[in-house]
Amino acid sequence: MKVSKAMPYPEQMVAPMRAELVDMGVQELRTAPAVDSFFAEAAGTSLVLVNSVCGCAAGSARPAVRLALEHGVKPTRAATVFAGQDLEATERARQLFGDVPPSSPSIALMKDGELVHFVPRHMIEGREAGAIAQALTEAFDTYCG
Amino acid sequence: MGTFHDDMGELHGITVVAQAGPTVYVGRCHEMDADNIVLLDVDQHTAGPDGKGEDGRSHAEYLERAAKFGVWKKHDRLVVPMVDVQAVTPLGAYYEGVGKTAAATPASAAAPSQQDEPDKATATATATDSPVVVTDDASQEVRRLLAEEENAGQGLRLGVSGGGCSGLVYKVEFDSRQDGDIVVPGDGFEIFLDRKSIIYLRGITLDFKQGLSGRGFQFQNPNASNTCGCGESFAV
Repeated sequence: MKVSKAMPYPEQMVAPMRAELVDMGVQELRTAPAVDSFFAEAAGTSLVLVNSVCGCAAGSARPAVRLALEHGVKPTRAATVFAGQDLEATERARQLFGDVPPSSPSIALMKDGELVHFVPRHMIEGREAGAIAQALTEAFDTYCG
Repeated sequence: MGTFHDDMGELHGITVVAQAGPTVYVGRCHEMDADNIVLLDVDQHTAGPDGKGEDGRSHAEYLERAAKFGVWKKHDRLVVPMVDVQAVTPLGAYYEGVGKTAAATPASAAAPSQQDEPDKATATATATDSPVVVTDDASQEVRRLLAEEENAGQGLRLGVSGGGCSGLVYKVEFDSRQDGDIVVPGDGFEIFLDRKSIIYLRGITLDFKQGLSGRGFQFQNPNASNTCGCGESFAV
């Protein structure tokens, strides 16, 4: 796996975007081994948010995940990788998504190690967090019940 | 919503489908004006004489998959002249799947029509894929008004502009076709939609009411998240 080591944004700028998710109980995966370790336990359902600094879309994605995780039916676990920042972790997570074009932010729902639902960036951008969360909870009801 | 670039236009940052003749471009809209649309991270799908692209899919099949998963980009940046573009629609409008009921953008894009005049930057939607619906009552009133001398030879223009209690105000007026208009066939008249308004107008129904509480055109907008009490303005 060969990925650039470039980090386009200073850490102090993205730290609040990381914290927003960690504070709601989402596990941050910053390295490829951390991704492998998280998915070593494949059983159950997992939400993976590919985080982004893009305010146009990620600004809604993070609160959408928070709202969705308040739903009665939800994934067993939730994790996040940060596109453009934690490059190897993001690359590794995307490999698990199969033949899905990369986009960020995006949200994947895995069940027993397989991708069962994907919310690409274009289903996030321009939408309020509540609408994104509502779509996510419909997926939770379908796959996590 | 955390948008960092409020001055780049209402479609800035939105992944759109730009239909241009036999090709559809899917990319993130950077900016759009009367001359060009600038797309980033762009894929394109060109239909051959059999209606299918190199991937063996029709535009509809390609867009259904693109809406579900996204696209693999072929171009980092692409400038498409608006004179070639028949319609610009958010890719999310093509989404079919779990969570669709929570999607904000219904319906499909205006399809390019074979009736298009090649030297006109306009597009004609067919009756079945019309982005707007005009009720029989509204059509009857439009025909009556268009029969008046000062409106002769004109069509119905629908649009939105900023203002009102809820942020956006509908426009209804009689006008002639302008370059760049999306043209929708009405019942005995043509409906002109400007491209900047289409994202807000898609899915609306124009009705006409006569009653004790008032007489006039009314919009029903499934995309509106908030509508003011007077019904003249809305938010999305």
